[in-house]
Amino acid sequence: MTDTSVKQAGSRPAGMAAPGSRALGSTLPRILVNSGLAQIVLALILPVAIVAIWQLAGTNGSLFGGVLPTPDRVVSAWWIWAFGPKGMGLNPYSGTWLANVIFSTQRVAQGFLVAILVGVPAGIWIGWSRLGAQILDPTVQMLRPIPITAWLPFSLAVFGISGFSAIFLIALGAFYPIVINTTQGARHVERNLVRAALMMGAGRFDILRRVVLPAALPSIFTGLRIGLGIGWTAVIVSEMIAVKSGLGYVLWDAYYVGRMDVVIADMVSIGVMGLLSDQLILLAERWALSWRLAGAR
Amino acid sequence: MAEITLRQVAKTYFSAVPVRALDSVDLDIAEGEFVALLGPSGCGKSTLLNILAGFEGASEGSALIDGGAIGKPGPDRGVVFQEAALFPWLTVWENVVFGPKMQGVPRSDYEDRAREMLATVGLKDFAQSYPAQLSGGMRQRVGIARVLVMQPRALLMDEPFGALDAQTRMAMQELLLTVWEKLNTTVVFVTHDIDEAILLADRVCVMTARPARIGREIPIALPRPRSIDDLTTPEFTRYKAEIMAEMRSAHRQAETTAA
Repeated sequence: MTDTSVKQAGSRPAGMAAPGSRALGSTLPRILVNSGLAQIVLALILPVAIVAIWQLAGTNGSLFGGVLPTPDRVVSAWWIWAFGPKGMGLNPYSGTWLANVIFSTQRVAQGFLVAILVGVPAGIWIGWSRLGAQILDPTVQMLRPIPITAWLPFSLAVFGISGFSAIFLIALGAFYPIVINTTQGARHVERNLVRAALMMGAGRFDILRRVVLPAALPSIFTGLRIGLGIGWTAVIVSEMIAVKSGLGYVLWDAYYVGRMDVVIADMVSIGVMGLLSDQLILLAERWALSWRLAGAR
Repeated sequence: MAEITLRQVAKTYFSAVPVRALDSVDLDIAEGEFVALLGPSGCGKSTLLNILAGFEGASEGSALIDGGAIGKPGPDRGVVFQEAALFPWLTVWENVVFGPKMQGVPRSDYEDRAREMLATVGLKDFAQSYPAQLSGGMRQRVGIARVLVMQPRALLMDEPFGALDAQTRMAMQELLLTVWEKLNTTVVFVTHDIDEAILLADRVCVMTARPARIGREIPIALPRPRSIDDLTTPEFTRYKAEIMAEMRSAHRQAETTAA
């Protein structure tokens, strides 16, 4: 089934161009579509339109009878949150944005690091050794269906209201995609590469480090990207409940006191941080897998 | 350089239906001899090579190298794979020195040799390239260089030029002839190409279809050094006719036993 569908997708009948290169009647639109600047402009049309409609639909700075603030209010709330004077005045958020961003980012980084340090070796072991698969895989598969949100009370009971609680959830959430993708990569190492290494006198550890690990690296990076996304989900959820700082804490706190402008500014901040950290992984991937792109250069 | 002896070697794969891949193979290969194993695809000749390499064990019989039983794979038996099997994440240079590095040979002991081998296969200027940047023929030349750097006692080649286009294949055959005439290593060369077998080998072993056995051994007395010009000589054609007849009868035999 999948085989034929893949083939059909791959062998497009002659005369039918790929969607991206379809002739648009004249060459002018195609130039517009392909240039870098045009791509940025095209990408911005929809978000700008949404923000504009959102802004114009509001009256007196809000929509839906005062529930939803308009974008200009969100921006000014963010400005005060980011650059306002610190202190326990009327606005408790004033000037605390950077500190909260750093709190959350640090937790994601720490939890993510733990997930890598545990998930990659575990995945290599499961994928490479039958014994590893027999010992570890059933446990991983048994625990995996438990959503990380379900671990919250457990985490609170064990670690209390503290950063550890968040780090535990982030590490756990990021661990699953990392271990599963690493397993996939380690399981499908080309047999002749292993044979070649054996023939050249490589020992067991050399095979793991110099053949299985690099061969699995593309899959590992897939796992890292998914894991990091889950890490950001986990940090927000746990900060909403188990920690008294960070973007997730501010998000829930602002909601309780009816500061929807801060809530939305917070949401955007989370999105931007998620995007930036994903770009960081992509950069690392491009560096680590440069040998794959070498042919295209 | 090594002497290889196979006595009654057989291999059966115990899957749902047991498959007999090799059936009582006897073969003696002298030191420095170039032997071609010629047979149809899937006849079990690669299985035989894998046993020599130590990738697979024989089900029956004994496989000896210089009188000792063949054990695990090791640098004394250099294997050249059909698709080169280079490490794509290493540069050409890193691929070539992988063997000596794994064996803990000091850098000063292998660096000159590795450079010389790269020059021999004509890839001096590609040391810092990645395999993805090379053509199929160039990749296979790296595959040969990385094996020769280890100074193996025997060279085991599994249809190494099978995936190359005709022109590249001929260039590679000439290269192999030059290199071998210099080093005089024992070579076991698996192929399904009759011309290739005659051109390269001292002796061609024609294998029967599954379960494979060595049907006939035909010594090739063409003078050395050889080149691809030999492909058109009358002697060459005579060998070719003889081997083709042998292969045809082996094929017929297989069909009657299958029916």
